[in-house]
Amino acid sequence: MKLLHRELVKLVHQKRSYVGWGGLLAVPLLVSLALYLNRNNRHGGGGPGGVVSLARHDGLFMPIAAILLLSAFLLPLLAAMVGAYQLAGESETGTIKTWLMHAISRGGVLASKWGIAIIYVAIGLVLVFVGGLIGGGLAFGLHAPLLLSGQTVSVAEGLWLTLLSFLYVLGGIICVLSLALLFATFTNSSLTAAIAALVVFIVMGILGAFSYFDFLKPYLLTSHLDAWQGFLSQPIDWHPIWTGLVAFAIYIAALMAVAWYQFRRKDILV
Amino acid sequence: MTEDTTAGRRSAADLEDELVGKVLRLEPDKRPIVLSTHDLTKRFGNTLAVDRLNLTVHRGDVFGFLGPNGAGKTTTIRMICGLIYPTSGHATVVDHQVPRDKTEALRHIGGFVEVPAFYANMSARRNLRLMGSLNGEIEERRIDEVLDIVGLHERADSKVGDYSHGMKQRLGIANALINEPELVILDEPTSGLDPQGMKDVRELVRELGAGGTTVFLSSHLLHEVEQICNRAAILNKGRVIVEGPVAELHPEHSAVKLLTADQQRARSVVASLVGEREVTADEEYLVVQASDGVTREIVNRLVGAGIAIDAVIPAREQGLEDFFLGLTQSADVDQAGAAGVNGGAR
Repeated sequence: MKLLHRELVKLVHQKRSYVGWGGLLAVPLLVSLALYLNRNNRHGGGGPGGVVSLARHDGLFMPIAAILLLSAFLLPLLAAMVGAYQLAGESETGTIKTWLMHAISRGGVLASKWGIAIIYVAIGLVLVFVGGLIGGGLAFGLHAPLLLSGQTVSVAEGLWLTLLSFLYVLGGIICVLSLALLFATFTNSSLTAAIAALVVFIVMGILGAFSYFDFLKPYLLTSHLDAWQGFLSQPIDWHPIWTGLVAFAIYIAALMAVAWYQFRRKDILV
Repeated sequence: MTEDTTAGRRSAADLEDELVGKVLRLEPDKRPIVLSTHDLTKRFGNTLAVDRLNLTVHRGDVFGFLGPNGAGKTTTIRMICGLIYPTSGHATVVDHQVPRDKTEALRHIGGFVEVPAFYANMSARRNLRLMGSLNGEIEERRIDEVLDIVGLHERADSKVGDYSHGMKQRLGIANALINEPELVILDEPTSGLDPQGMKDVRELVRELGAGGTTVFLSSHLLHEVEQICNRAAILNKGRVIVEGPVAELHPEHSAVKLLTADQQRARSVVASLVGEREVTADEEYLVVQASDGVTREIVNRLVGAGIAIDAVIPAREQGLEDFFLGLTQSADVDQAGAAGVNGGAR
């Protein structure tokens, strides 16, 4: 906990932290604005359809619409960047050796780096959530939402389901940042580690898009990322959600175990 | 003539023999050992960076770890601090084995490796608080104290990113001292500093030593180590060539160089005074191995004999300096010779 607290101090002193958070806050606000300005052009107005168009009727859907747009690229990107930067960024500045020359264990350092990266993306998701509610609420009001399965639930229940969806998304994003953190234990360049994590992520997405590779699907991280949509049905479609959560847990455990093994014995030569 | 010339320059091997004798004459040191290395070895691929290194640093020592660039100084320091893992062997810091108990060992170490690195977006004060608190409770007063010691008090609240190289170097020393560690490790603390900065840092390290702090300092500058250290080890190609008190590392004899037009006659005059073996000649100078007191007598005799002397150049400590320069300049010191010396020193 002591280490995590110190990582938090470092995090809030970095300008780049705020750039990422700013982007995450801006997206739901911009989507709200775009939909609002285009509100009279109900058909053929352009922009993404599906859940996003639901937000035209109910601001409560705006966080969901934003997360859908973000989880394709910006969220994994930020997760990869922050995961990679936590470790390899400190190699770049040389501060990792200053840090490790104290009475702290390598495992503790790695765990605190992982923890702070999770905190970073979690704060980002809170911003998306809040930004979506504010933007969507101002533009379209917050009404009792009509779920994908056709029922209407209360505003409170709608918020609760949205929160659960966000938590699920966080699980998927933790996998991406763990992947970046793992690569960061092998390289001293945060860009290399982040790109490596994104390449793996994108390749998984591409493999999942071809039916030939269907046999791979259960094992691909990307196949499970959208399962949160199960929360928008009544009753909740738990099966893909549980499958996804198990997959995330296995991914995270495996990635961090390898990262720990590698970092524990790593020669710090920067 | 040729034979004389070689003898006069004193080959590295001869000098090594002479130095090794000194180490053997040392009396056992009864002060507690703060740092020791035991056959510490690091291999990177095919390169043997540090080769069975054995060092002992006692409490209160200002220990100079001297060697040319690439000798393995920084690699050794990294191993002592648990940043890299030895291929074999280990270090012991205040009874804690590195790498086995490195977390405990690091509680007793303060210092930096290569250039001190800090979080550029934070002030010096915040950096010190952040790092210092990793090894224990830190009081604000202690932060002020160490900032005072290194003369950074006025800039304590500026971002480290705005610091000059010299200021970062001093902050590195402040950070090394903050937890009042048993062992302060400074890796080339004067490198990249201007002459005034070098002087300040050396003064600072000397004061630390005078105050009883154990300092392990690496350097590639012989005179720096001579100025501020009481003990030293010379490292080359990953091996310790010689280890001992700095005063003992000096060859006993000083030398004087004479410039004269009549070298032949001067030589016989001087030889009659100090003995044939002590006089040699290089292309320009007559080199006489003699202590300072004898120099005046030499000059008197030469003048008395009607030999004009154009210059008298004291060449004190020429032996060690030449030897060390030889190490720094030529990458190929006879490995077998070095191994023999090291073996003899044990």
